Amino acid sequence: MIESLIAPLRAVWESLIERLLFLPPFPESIDALALFSLLLVTGLLMGEWLHAHARWPKVIGYVLAGILFGPSLLGWIGVETLAQARPIADAALGLLMMEVGRRLDLSWLRRNPELLRSTLADIGLSFALIFVFALWLVGLSPAWAAATAAVTMASAPAVVLLTVEESRAQGQVTERIILHTAISSAASFVAFAFVLGVVHAELSEDWLNAVVHPIWVVTGALLVGGLGSWLALRIARALPKRSLAQVFVLVACALLAVGIARMLAVPVFLTLFLMGVLLAAFDRRQTLRYTELPDGHWLLAIVLFVIVGASLPWQEFTWLAGLQALGLLLVRAAAKAAALAWSGGSLPLPKRLLVGMGIQPLSATAVFMAYELASLYPEVGRSALTLPLFAAAMMELAGPALCRLALRRSGECENEAGERGGIA
Amino acid sequence: MSGTALGEFKDSAALSLGVELELQLVSRRDYDLTRGATDLLGSMDYDGRFGEIKLEITESMIEISTQAQASVDGIAADLAGLRDTLHSHCARNNIGVCGGGTHPFHHWPERRICPGDRFHGLYQRYGYLAKQFTVFGQHIHVGCTSADEAIWLTQALGVHVPAFIALSASSPFVDGVDSFYQSARLNAVSAFPLSGQCPALDSWQQFTEHFAFLQACGIAEGIKDLYWDVRPKPEFGTVEIRVCDTPLAIEQAIALAALAQSLCRWLLRTRPPLHTAKQAHVARYNKFQACRYGLDAMLSDPVALCQVSLRESLARLLDDISEDARELGCLHWLSPLKQMVVDNAGDAAWLRAQFAQHGNLHDVVRAASERLMRQNNDSRGVTP
Repeated sequence: MIESLIAPLRAVWESLIERLLFLPPFPESIDALALFSLLLVTGLLMGEWLHAHARWPKVIGYVLAGILFGPSLLGWIGVETLAQARPIADAALGLLMMEVGRRLDLSWLRRNPELLRSTLADIGLSFALIFVFALWLVGLSPAWAAATAAVTMASAPAVVLLTVEESRAQGQVTERIILHTAISSAASFVAFAFVLGVVHAELSEDWLNAVVHPIWVVTGALLVGGLGSWLALRIARALPKRSLAQVFVLVACALLAVGIARMLAVPVFLTLFLMGVLLAAFDRRQTLRYTELPDGHWLLAIVLFVIVGASLPWQEFTWLAGLQALGLLLVRAAAKAAALAWSGGSLPLPKRLLVGMGIQPLSATAVFMAYELASLYPEVGRSALTLPLFAAAMMELAGPALCRLALRRSGECENEAGERGGIA
Repeated sequence: MSGTALGEFKDSAALSLGVELELQLVSRRDYDLTRGATDLLGSMDYDGRFGEIKLEITESMIEISTQAQASVDGIAADLAGLRDTLHSHCARNNIGVCGGGTHPFHHWPERRICPGDRFHGLYQRYGYLAKQFTVFGQHIHVGCTSADEAIWLTQALGVHVPAFIALSASSPFVDGVDSFYQSARLNAVSAFPLSGQCPALDSWQQFTEHFAFLQACGIAEGIKDLYWDVRPKPEFGTVEIRVCDTPLAIEQAIALAALAQSLCRWLLRTRPPLHTAKQAHVARYNKFQACRYGLDAMLSDPVALCQVSLRESLARLLDDISEDARELGCLHWLSPLKQMVVDNAGDAAWLRAQFAQHGNLHDVVRAASERLMRQNNDSRGVTP
């Protein structure tokens, strides 16, 4: 479609190029900066419009912009464009994952063992029920059923963080949603690494790859994340706490880790999550503890969700696939609600169920994990992972709304009158 | 009419004590104030054996109040029990607790008014002042055997308000900057129309007439509307000293209770002349001096018509009341105060030293939170 729009312009350009010596050849692809700007403005306008007119979380608008302009509908964002924008998405996801890693407060579990019980129940039940659903009701093989469970068991850190930030929520429900999200993400990454090996073993019977690939992913992420956190702490120590210089050091070290992870084919989300965890764990002098990401990370987050929206395979949608994805989401919701109902660490039952509602989002990390797995054996992987991708596609739209509803019902959001959101 | 609003003055045991502390609820991640009081109280499994733990006006505050006790050691035991109870419940909810009269860097518009008709009414009446009232004080109740005695003590203690301010001052930072005050908290209280001093009244009869006048003018509906530095509290049968910042450690709060009890005994025993009308002219100036300079304040003496050093007059006062403290069994709690007058090492100075050491206020609150929770108990209970 976009080709037919620019065809007349191309014809004029090519007729002029023989006479105007200074003209470059007609640009075959969009410049990276221009692409960034277009994705940003499109997502931003859609997000702001929906937020202003329907009070929807802005994230939904960003995703809808991606779906609308992506390959599934208008096709203005093509597959090559998505590949071109991948570094920006990796940087955005990386920064958000680092932030979630920094917020993983394991000492809270020590002080409140009931919380440990509810998080373990969430992780265990979610994985087990989704695995059983994918294996028995959908009919996937054990390896792909495990892959589906690994990809979809956790809540979406990026969506949760942005929704909390947008609502300016604060309180026990908010804190527990963040804790559950961080811990279930960690568990999901462990399961993901294990599943990598299982998929290799099932599809190629290549035991070398089955053993070495998970080790490569985990060790690589740990080493790169460790290097990033060590470097950030080392440099930041010489700078005033909470200074702008410290913010720049933090962002620069995170981007360095993103870059190295991409070079080594180690998942960015895992690397940066571990970097965040290590930053918090080894920051004994509170060097970077109080240093926050700049508001500018919203710019990257908008682009991330536009890209995620465009990456969703809506063009492959069938009613059966849709029903199966809906079933998976219902099973997953039941698992999380049951875990929180069983134990929630000193919070009354209604609030625990709100925590269960707040951790429903399923988003960017799931999509990226699914594509990582699918890329191993593209001929079978893509169709086998249709289920988690459609589940993520549905939750891209419902998840932020559910999370926002949980925060509002808990009474922990800022008053509507005073609410400004993250970028407004 | 006034009798209905004020209620009968309930006589209580002479010089019995009660202490209320307003405490800060802080996030353990960045040590900013956090909203959590309602959830904290809702999830609390506590039988009330040391006194009460209750909501205050915003979700970032919590109040602990001891039971009425005959001795300072009883107050010490209650405060230690309340602190430890609060500590364990806050730990389960990942919330930190901190002393100090102000939070050094919180952003007041982010505060949330607690649910409840009284708090909602205050917010409607005072608007943003209610949120800015997220400051933290210690209130000390001293039991009175009669209503007239309570009024006399209210007047007599008014002269010593600067001493309580200086000894408790722990609010040098406001809105992320050093205010240059030792106690900046009271500036937030001063904004309220009924703050200040009790007028020159000689008896409970005169007090009820004055209150009826305020009521008729539509200014006050109940005793809680009077934000006086010292006020009678008929329902408890006490006189209440309300000017202290919440100290950074409970030991200092206990020492201030010991000062209040010993001072009241000394005042009732010696019955010094009050010069109430003259004192009213200098009360606000003297209060400002104590807030701004702490123990280095120079107070105006409206009787001798001169300025006197608060440090010197306080040192003399602490010597004067020592015998009463001994009789009450709390002399050992006055020692830290005497030392403080000599060393000039109060909580405000400690907070500034922490800021000088760390270079940021987040670490200052972290250190202050750890200090409040540091237990200084021995086999006999909490010690000075």
